[in-house]
Amino acid sequence: MTLLLGASTVGLILALLALGVYLSFRIFNFPDITADGSITLGAAVTASLLILNWPPALATLAGFFAGVLAGTVTGLLNAKFRINGLLSGILVMTALYSINLHVMGKSNLPLLEETTLVTQSESFLGMLFGPGDVGVFGWEVNQRDAAALCLAGAMVAGVGMILYLFFRTEFGTAMRAAGDNPQMIRALGGSVDFILIFGLAVSNGLIALSGSLLAQYQGFADVQMGIGMVVWGLASVIIGEALVGSKSTGIVITGAIMGSLLFRLIVAIALRWGLDPNDLKLITAVFVFLALVVPGALAALRSRAGRAR
Amino acid sequence: MLEVSGIGKTFHAGTPNEVFALRDVSFNLLEGSFLIIIGTNGSGKSTLLNAVAGTFPLDRGTVSLSGHDMTKWPEHRRAKLIGRVFQNPYSGTAPNMTIAENLAMAARRGLPRGLAWAIPRTLRSELRDRVRTLNMGLEDRLDNDIGTLSGGQRQALTLLMASWLKPDLLLLDEHTAALDPKSADQVIRLTHEIIKRDKLTTLMVTHSMQQAVRLGDRLIMMHRGSILHDIQGAEKARARPEDLLQRFEDVRRREQLDAPVAEMLGKTYV
Ligand SMILES: Nc1ncnc2c1ncn2[C@@H]1O[C@H](COP(=O)(O)OP(=O)(O)OP(=O)(O)O)[C@@H](O)[C@H]1O
Ligand SMILES: [Mg+2]
Repeated sequence: MTLLLGASTVGLILALLALGVYLSFRIFNFPDITADGSITLGAAVTASLLILNWPPALATLAGFFAGVLAGTVTGLLNAKFRINGLLSGILVMTALYSINLHVMGKSNLPLLEETTLVTQSESFLGMLFGPGDVGVFGWEVNQRDAAALCLAGAMVAGVGMILYLFFRTEFGTAMRAAGDNPQMIRALGGSVDFILIFGLAVSNGLIALSGSLLAQYQGFADVQMGIGMVVWGLASVIIGEALVGSKSTGIVITGAIMGSLLFRLIVAIALRWGLDPNDLKLITAVFVFLALVVPGALAALRSRAGRAR
Repeated sequence: MLEVSGIGKTFHAGTPNEVFALRDVSFNLLEGSFLIIIGTNGSGKSTLLNAVAGTFPLDRGTVSLSGHDMTKWPEHRRAKLIGRVFQNPYSGTAPNMTIAENLAMAARRGLPRGLAWAIPRTLRSELRDRVRTLNMGLEDRLDNDIGTLSGGQRQALTLLMASWLKPDLLLLDEHTAALDPKSADQVIRLTHEIIKRDKLTTLMVTHSMQQAVRLGDRLIMMHRGSILHDIQGAEKARARPEDLLQRFEDVRRREQLDAPVAEMLGKTYV
């Protein structure tokens, strides 16, 4: 049970990453590798500030804005300097590796004694239910785990809701249109450059927020923690789309969250069954490859079969 | 109203692929006039419209509209004054968004976009009313994705979008060329109605000689990036399709004369 609970918590935290990847990859069709750096950046900034005894809420917010900054730089490189999107992301991600090391001062920052959002939620839960384990659907659950799960769930629900509402505003609609048909939104007076920069800023802000929460949950920030994260996020988005099978924004947002959750649970169970953790990234990459290729290949097969008939 | 003076654009300048798409084109358009642009393929008609819309920076010359010198304005800023329909029915609308969402964006053409609802309740009834004027039954499908519509329906909607907020200038680039004859007729009729009703100043490129003689109060014929003929007033009103075809024929004959000469010169000197 603790295993599933932990996996769900990480799944929810990484759902923020999935939402960020959804924004860049699905709305703008922009494969934004910055994510690998900005998730660590969020963790690094928050962890360093927590060690300086910043209030956790502020330290988390600072992590978010650090990601916003990173996304803005990627957007500027692409939109203003006309550097290829993939390369813009790679440049910023590479630069962030050094920056993250500077921010942390060393390659791993433990948060053992620090007050974090997780410890705060834990005390809050303690105040509500009294000390000791909490009963969830008949299971006795460690208070810290339950608190972390509630915190992650609340954050994701809030962010998902805000994102959903945002996409129904004038600016949010223009953002979706900028990804769907940039020529059209330009002809209607929208600056595609500005919208893209803004979108990447928000995307990386969410990804950094995910990193910030992850550090507080795991109890450390590590300079390596971002490696392969874009692919994690992508896998979650793809699973989510398969789950909900719809293109409407609200449903796809829910799908991405569910995808992240499901993906983490599958991984936890697979690891439990003896999957070598070292193979995890390889398997994820192969999975994303298949998810990207198989639908197209199936359609091609089907149309060939149709023609043959 | 619209003043285009001495504009020039060369693509791939200084390479073997150099194209003089526009050479020193100038004309003025009075408010409310409807200019038809014809010309052979590659004569620079689309490039002229793009130059006015600000799709690329010009090499030379200036473009001003309603007293604003727009030469240095990026495309999205010019969109405040300009409504546009493209040749490709897929260009003017966002296919994975609904009819209502597309129209709502057009209702804010050139205006700041903030965090207000994209489709407030008040707008919805207006959307329905104005879509009904298209007579295509689309008013009941406002929440369908535009990608599910036919090319003719999409062009009609794009036209509605371009003219939703009365533009100072309407640009139409062969906007019926990709449609079947019936839809093309329908969209042309709609074009005519909207332009007349709102007294829109319009630039329209067309390949159809029928459209060229029936519509507009002035006509220019382009050739190799320049204006070859400029027909206005009574002469435009009198023009018949055969007259225009005759002018194309003249151009072609002169080209054929030119070609052997160029070849000879090439052989002699290169
Ligand atoms: N973006 C571009 N880059 C390079 N060359 C271009 C570009 N746009 C136009 N051209 C070239 O400029 C010339 C004029 O093209 P333009 O599209 O304006 O012709 P047109 O009169 O609209 O022709 P059509 O009737 O085929 O639409 C052509 O030779 C074309 O190849
Ligand atoms: Mg053209």
